[in-house]
Amino acid sequence: MISIALKMLFGDPVKLAGLVLGIAFSTLLMTQQGGFFISLISRASNIVGEAKGVDVWVIDPQTETAEGPKPMRDVELFRVRGVDGVADASPLVQSTATLRTAERRSIAATFLGVDDARLLGINPQFVIGTPEDLRRPDAIAIDRLGFSKLWPGEPLGPGKVIEVNDRRAVVVAITDALPGFSAPVIVYTRISQALAYTPGGRNRLSYILVRLAPGADAGAAVARISEQTGLKALTSAQLQRMTIGYVLANTGIAPSFGVVIALGAIVGILVSGLTFTLFVSDNLKQFAVLKAVGVSNLRLLGMVATQALVVAFIGYAIGLFIATSFFDGVNKPLSDLKGFWLPWQVAALSAGAVLAIVLIASLVSIRRVLSLDPATVFRG
Amino acid sequence: MTAVIAKGVVKSFGVGDTRTLALRGADLEARAGEMTFLVGPSGCGKTTLISILAAMLSPDDGEVSVFGESPFRLRRSQLTRFRMRTVGFVFQQFNLLPALDAAENAAVPLIVQGVSTGKALKKASDLLDRLGLSGSAYKLPGQLSGGQQQRVAIARALIHEPRLVVCDEPTASLDAASGRAVMELLRDVAVSPERAAIVVTHDDRVYSFADRIATMADGRVVATTTTIASRDKETG
Repeated sequence: MISIALKMLFGDPVKLAGLVLGIAFSTLLMTQQGGFFISLISRASNIVGEAKGVDVWVIDPQTETAEGPKPMRDVELFRVRGVDGVADASPLVQSTATLRTAERRSIAATFLGVDDARLLGINPQFVIGTPEDLRRPDAIAIDRLGFSKLWPGEPLGPGKVIEVNDRRAVVVAITDALPGFSAPVIVYTRISQALAYTPGGRNRLSYILVRLAPGADAGAAVARISEQTGLKALTSAQLQRMTIGYVLANTGIAPSFGVVIALGAIVGILVSGLTFTLFVSDNLKQFAVLKAVGVSNLRLLGMVATQALVVAFIGYAIGLFIATSFFDGVNKPLSDLKGFWLPWQVAALSAGAVLAIVLIASLVSIRRVLSLDPATVFRG
Repeated sequence: MTAVIAKGVVKSFGVGDTRTLALRGADLEARAGEMTFLVGPSGCGKTTLISILAAMLSPDDGEVSVFGESPFRLRRSQLTRFRMRTVGFVFQQFNLLPALDAAENAAVPLIVQGVSTGKALKKASDLLDRLGLSGSAYKLPGQLSGGQQQRVAIARALIHEPRLVVCDEPTASLDAASGRAVMELLRDVAVSPERAAIVVTHDDRVYSFADRIATMADGRVVATTTTIASRDKETG
């Protein structure tokens, strides 16, 4: 009976195309917009995810997001170092400044000043140069997206001189850092340089990056640091979640994307539901014949469910393929959408939504099949 | 041997002011080995009566027996199985599934019974050959003439060897020659000592194929006559 159901489905290519395209469009909207949304809000926490080797982040209790740290006093660094279980603690200064080239091109960048001695908190993906190059005078490491925007068309390479707030900086290394949310270009330098490039008040410490002693329990260490210093201590995952929560709560991104994703689901339900209902209605006579020759309602239900699932699978596969092709196309080193990806959870949720769409559509349609009087086959 | 007995069958449609009495106590007997025609003017209840005899519609009152079984005393699932095993259908509009080829259409009742697709298709192809459709087994209904489509429908009605074959205006959509050919075929293959065929028709050109003609009017069978074909058979 399954083969008969499939032949009925594929025997009407126009309606099949309508059904499949409805599901594909719906899948595309949900996965593309869902992935875009997750990628966008994740950007705010990229500096946390990129800082390898950090066990615990210590921040001012008033800080709500990784991209907007409230400054702390320098002395806090020594207090954190004194907490039991802390093997090492390094300062990290974050600020924003504009880079200007001799050709008068400029771009805003997030500056991350790392401890001069330890260099902890640097994105380890260096395309050209090494973190050690940052020890040289006026040295900065810029990501390749920033390099391509400042010197378009030029091959990546060290030695470029740049101006930051009337001070000289030399590009000594090029990284593959992921862009931030508020400023897409990420610049690494030593903390002493960062303070000079972005002058400000006396207290400039943004984060204290902690490495725990071998075997130390992260949860216990976090609690101890918070208790003994009065600062907020978080693991990388906790800080990322807090940052994403802040973006969701304080921007219109979530409702905006939510509306589009909901529209995708609604359009999918409407288009697929109506087309599927039409498909089943057009085939009612055929279902009546099958009923007349002794096909039970349960088997008819199985036939309609099979048709719905096949349509869902094909439509979902097409929609997912287009969405993944989109992310594959935009996630390039020199793209403004670098780092955008399609999380498998979004694809899984979309699959669930598509399944719900076709189940709703087939439930609406199957009612007519189940209540169908087989005697209608005798009525002309 | 009496194959089908209907006694005092009553059936109405609608409720209240819109209630229409389609059958008002119809009686009918059809014998195995015979082709019984059900004739009468439009709206006299022929289609309602064969729908009930084919166990597709339940009567409001009266008794129906098909080869000794009372289908309307069966549970719903048993009734579906009864129809699947006992009844074969030939419709006025053929009602072939357009996406299936001739052999697949003919094989549907066997596939429904759980016979493997390969075996069912083989049997369907053989039967189509017998019905003069060799070479058309893999054609879609849209590629066949009306007469050929009705032959496929006859193959579908007979492939599972049902004891009762019910035909609703089998010649109405065909020209005279094709109609005659279809009736000849039905007589040849649908009538056997263990099987009864009931044919609803308006087409008086094919009455000569009947063994017995039951005339209906106003929801009742008002006359039953045996025909030359039947008398010939009885006299040997």
